[in-house]
Amino acid sequence: MSALLHLSGVGKDYAKLDANAGRLRLVFDLLRGRGAPQVFQALDEVSFDLAAGESLGIIGENGAGKSTLLKIVAGVITPTRGVVESRGRVGALLELGSGFHPEYSGIANIDLAAALLGLTRAEIAAKRDEIIAFADIGEHIYDPIKHYSSGMVVRLGFAVATALTPDILITDEVLAVGDESFQKKCVAWMERYLVGGGTLLLCSHSMYHIQKLCRAALWLKDGRVERYGAAAEVSQAYLAYHEEKSAGAKQPIAAPRAAAAGVYAVQSLSLDPPATVPSGGALTIAGEVFSPDGRPPVVLLGLIRADGTPVYGVATDMDGVAPRRTGAHRFAFSLTFPRLPLLPGKYLVRAHALDPEGVRLFDNVEMPLLIEGATREMGLVRIDHDWSGRMPDSDGGPPDGAGPA
Amino acid sequence: MPPSLRPVLSQRGNADEAHTKASLARHRALFANFFHRELFSRYLGSISGLAWAFVHPLALLAVYHFVFTTIFRAGSMDGKSFLLFVAVALWPWLAAQEALQRATVSIASYAGLIRKVAFRHELVVYASVAATLALQFAGYLVVLVVLALFGEPVHFEGLLLAVPLWLVLAIAVTGLALALAALQVFVKDVEHILMPVLMILMYLTPILYPLSLVPDSMKPWVAANPFGYLVGRLRDALLDGRLGLAWSDALAVVVALAMFAAGRWVFLRLSPHFEDFV
Repeated sequence: MSALLHLSGVGKDYAKLDANAGRLRLVFDLLRGRGAPQVFQALDEVSFDLAAGESLGIIGENGAGKSTLLKIVAGVITPTRGVVESRGRVGALLELGSGFHPEYSGIANIDLAAALLGLTRAEIAAKRDEIIAFADIGEHIYDPIKHYSSGMVVRLGFAVATALTPDILITDEVLAVGDESFQKKCVAWMERYLVGGGTLLLCSHSMYHIQKLCRAALWLKDGRVERYGAAAEVSQAYLAYHEEKSAGAKQPIAAPRAAAAGVYAVQSLSLDPPATVPSGGALTIAGEVFSPDGRPPVVLLGLIRADGTPVYGVATDMDGVAPRRTGAHRFAFSLTFPRLPLLPGKYLVRAHALDPEGVRLFDNVEMPLLIEGATREMGLVRIDHDWSGRMPDSDGGPPDGAGPA
Repeated sequence: MPPSLRPVLSQRGNADEAHTKASLARHRALFANFFHRELFSRYLGSISGLAWAFVHPLALLAVYHFVFTTIFRAGSMDGKSFLLFVAVALWPWLAAQEALQRATVSIASYAGLIRKVAFRHELVVYASVAATLALQFAGYLVVLVVLALFGEPVHFEGLLLAVPLWLVLAIAVTGLALALAALQVFVKDVEHILMPVLMILMYLTPILYPLSLVPDSMKPWVAANPFGYLVGRLRDALLDGRLGLAWSDALAVVVALAMFAAGRWVFLRLSPHFEDFV
């Protein structure tokens, strides 16, 4: 079965101009079929496929090109390069108002929006009542749109776009506007739409919505595809990238180094398994410390999330143990977490060497750690829990007691 | 070599019969929607709008009549009364002038829609021109009736030729409107330049004077004006009742179609980039 939506090598350039003279020249260039001397590449080499019934989330920072990509898929703009193929009706909810004219009443705008979406007069008349009911804005439907609150505009826009049962539904940050009850209505409708075989293209900054509603995700960075794959994996990578960015100005990563004179220093640090651990799996942190005076130093090991949030830290003197002597000035330590309950994400393991009194901190060595998993639970760690009591399953079946273990 | 801005012809949808039919129906429905909008918002929605649509040309006609007959003491024009002579030509000119001026800014006034929804942008210009010319043609008929009631010798059988002539005018004006509207999106001065240019052109067209009064050295230039040709034929039809067609009429149709094709070519080349500049 061929894809409902197929993009291959899509790129979009915008001309960079300021003065009026530049515009005149641009007009002549466009008429001749040539390009502008200076362009801004909003999108480059974007390719993906969307089959019927699938859902794809588009994520990325502001300015990455998400809206541009959605506009290309919706047909609002034509790409400069590449191929776009789409089958079936594309319904788009792009920004507030989606084609509404502020001077006209809600009813008039329903007619216009329906005409834009390709309905005949008879079809519009049939659907009108349904749309008015879904939008639920009462008598205001006869007032001009410019008198509406932003929430009312979005409700009307959503009612229009959804009443027309598009084959592909595109929506972007519109979910961010609207009150709690509207957002719930939105998400509930979208889930029904997906269960009924609809195809969704969602652009959102909320990883919660992306993970809940989409099977796959595409991370756009500076107009290019940074990552494309399962929603959980891509959104976690995106979140980790952001956490690292905000932690940027902190202590630079210090690789293990030879001990400077008179200073307790961590000489080596290793992780087992190295670099990647499944959530709930075992992790052993081991290493060696240098002690200038031969006395056993205190070793402090910490687990920190990529943005700098500390999760857990423990030192050898807290548990009344000491590093094992392996030489005149060398000591070894090894810490095992049998079932590390960290939720999926990027973390840092930090090792510090302190003096034997555990008072002064001399060294700081870091190592990245990636926890893998496919769960939507939020926070830093997984806490054992039990949905006790008579709670039915979400599909209405008989209650089955304990939650996922 | 800098990357080209020329849009690639992306393959959209399928070539299904149903899809194409639906496209045409969609365009018709959308055109109807825009047409109603233009007509009602501009004219029929407000008293002053309707009044302006008629008062302006009537007032101009009255002023020209006063100035030329009473002050300049111009004699009869080729043996016809000045009032009818000018009215038959002036009204279509003013209609075309208004159609061009309105259409030039029409794309910009639909900016919000263009940035958010995919649709054929040319429908906006068609609706704008159609609304203006439809209303002005109705006004033209009213003026002819009123003038006849005042005793002017109007040959109403000339309408058999006048209606097709207005159609030819509409085609040519639409072509110009498409080009101007597209250019206006990029170069905002077009609407400002248009006004004085049209004013100058009006005096260079034999509207206020017959072609016969033009000195022989200038005659070919003035006669070459396509609008002047149309106006001359309108006068033949409505003032003299002459309905016979000539080869030059076929040429006029061809010229009008060529103007339409050229204007549309310019529009379609620039239309994919509206979203960025509008």
